[in-house]
Amino acid sequence: MKVVITLTLLLVSFISRSAEQAEQIFHQLAPSLYQIRLIDKASGEKSSIGSGFQITEDGLIATNYHVISGFAQHPAKYRLEYLDNKGNKAPLELKSVDVINDLALVQRTVTEKMPYFDIAKNNPIKGEEIYSLGNPHDLGMIVVPGTYNGLKIESFHDRIHFTGSINPGMSGGPVVNHLAQVVGVNVATSGNQIGFLVPHEKLLTLFNNYQRKPPSSIDMQMSEQLVGSQKKLISTMLSTPWQQKALGNAIIPTIDVPYIRCWGESNADKADAIALLAVANCALEENIYITGGFFTGSVDMEFKYMKSKKLSDLKFYHIYQQHILRAGPGNKAGKDDVTEYQCHHDLVKPNTGNMDDKAILCTRAYKKFPKLFDVLFIAASIDKGDQALISHFTLSGVTQESALAFTQKFLESVSWK
Amino acid sequence: MEIIVEEINRGEKLLSRHKFLTDKVTIGRGYSNDIILADPHVCSEHLSLSFTEGNWLVTDKSTINGSFLANGKQNADQHIVHSGDTIRLGKSYIRLILADHPVEDTMPFSPFESIITLMRNPLVLAINILLFSAVAGMMFYLNQPKEVNFTQFVVRAVSVTLMFSLWPILISLISHFNKHEARILTQLAISFALFNLMWVSDVFESIVAFNMSSNWSIASLITLLPIVLAFSLIWLNCYIGFNMSARRRNIIAFSMTALLFGGSYILELSKKPEFTARPNYDATIMTPTFKFSASSSVDKFISDSGKLFAKVEKSAKEKN
Repeated sequence: MKVVITLTLLLVSFISRSAEQAEQIFHQLAPSLYQIRLIDKASGEKSSIGSGFQITEDGLIATNYHVISGFAQHPAKYRLEYLDNKGNKAPLELKSVDVINDLALVQRTVTEKMPYFDIAKNNPIKGEEIYSLGNPHDLGMIVVPGTYNGLKIESFHDRIHFTGSINPGMSGGPVVNHLAQVVGVNVATSGNQIGFLVPHEKLLTLFNNYQRKPPSSIDMQMSEQLVGSQKKLISTMLSTPWQQKALGNAIIPTIDVPYIRCWGESNADKADAIALLAVANCALEENIYITGGFFTGSVDMEFKYMKSKKLSDLKFYHIYQQHILRAGPGNKAGKDDVTEYQCHHDLVKPNTGNMDDKAILCTRAYKKFPKLFDVLFIAASIDKGDQALISHFTLSGVTQESALAFTQKFLESVSWK
Repeated sequence: MEIIVEEINRGEKLLSRHKFLTDKVTIGRGYSNDIILADPHVCSEHLSLSFTEGNWLVTDKSTINGSFLANGKQNADQHIVHSGDTIRLGKSYIRLILADHPVEDTMPFSPFESIITLMRNPLVLAINILLFSAVAGMMFYLNQPKEVNFTQFVVRAVSVTLMFSLWPILISLISHFNKHEARILTQLAISFALFNLMWVSDVFESIVAFNMSSNWSIASLITLLPIVLAFSLIWLNCYIGFNMSARRRNIIAFSMTALLFGGSYILELSKKPEFTARPNYDATIMTPTFKFSASSSVDKFISDSGKLFAKVEKSAKEKN
């Protein structure tokens, strides 16, 4: 009995120590925490909110790019302002962004030197308690204690896996260790205590680059970042050896990198289906946010194997054709973001392979970011009367060079057994 | 002296034709007349034509509604007849023609005549209709996601055939109502022959789309084929069903085709959204049997596709 009581007491003291620490951290840093608001000029009301934190004594504030993306893309429609812990509001100026890592730097005017957050020098250790700060749902600044769980493995863009709730509105808020040093920035959640943070090194890089040379234009800066990121992604994917895998009677490639994840489905259980259908889908399960209606950076591959059961070739091909009629883009984009697609089609047979394809490639250009395109490709085998393989991919936000190199490798990696 | 009196309708279509070898002809509603008109606006003794001093003279017998030249207001009483004159009495029309009136040149049989005769052959007609039904049933079979049994196939084939036979039947009815010969079998023969040609052009179009790459820009010309066929169908329908001048036939066939295709084009254009996020590509695939052209190499495909990028980049700049 005594033991139980002692244990309970210990636990209580541990919890209260943690709560105390959280309170202390919050108290100490409250003046450097802000709510960042995107104000619609025409209506004068806030159109979205997020959190931000000051990282220099002269008023430079870090937040998420997606918090201020409306202003970055439509500066005429919106303005930025902050709300501090005393309820003061004042305008902000956008200084620099990192669209790939979803970070932005904004500047407030200060009259005297102010307290600010230090950025940590080292990564936390796995299991270490860290504290996420922010303003969820416009309810006021709060502290959420949670656990550092290292970097997310299946992610091309580094993200810290944080066990603790991150809610809308907390985006752009800092995550600090017990020394109140910033170890990450709140960015996303997948519900139920799973949160994702941008590692502090990314913020440090953005800050250092900004201090060395502020960007001349935000659009140009974003453009360079997007081009750089797609180049890194595609060249990594192309330099990794592609594994061969059987799908029905065909051989399809899989790219052996952790951030491309695959899923599969078939109708093998349906005895009355008139054709066997097996689908394998591999995708990069993350993308880059530009605005609410415009995402980029996605990679998606789909292979569909079909085998006719007692159907005439003519009918099989008629059904088969329905499967390639309606391919759509892999990313969301609107009229102001991209042009309409232009397509090329031809019958293609790789020298290396044994599969004859009808190949279709479509592309559309980005209007704001030169040299970047969305690409959609479909190849449909046309050399077997009773079997078919559709190989399809979409890439978004890639250069012509990357797109064509990927297409070539993709086309040459598909064959019959 | 000879005179020919033609009863015509308002559209100058011939209703009946009478030839007289006397010097006096009477026209009216009464049964004593040489030409008896049923028009209630015509008087019982309405008009007489008499040959005096080398001319035919029109005499109106002081009628209630009068007699007038052509469609105008000029009174026809005491008018000296010129061959081809039209006179209106009541709501009826007559045309007066003298024996030396010139006639148009003999129309030779057009080369279509032999085709029409061939199509009109009962055996050829039956084959054409059967062929059409078979293709209609086939299309149904191909478009069904499930297996199709024979009854479903036949029901569909027959119903589509009946539906398509409405067109020639409609044309026949119209020509019948216009006092032309209905020629229903000939209309059926020609229509089904052309419907079958349209299937053929569809298949041809698919084969071209399947075999040719998008570099081959002439492929778009193939889409003219159905337009040409539709024009031919309407032209032949007119040729068979109505006695009209070649010029008029061309105009009718042209304007109906334009209405048909232009109308659907405009409809499509009006539905087109300002921006479409989905690509619009040619996805025609056919069984290996229909592959006639050689496949390109991957390098060729890549270099051809490369040209697209400059194109979309240009349109991105234009719209900015």
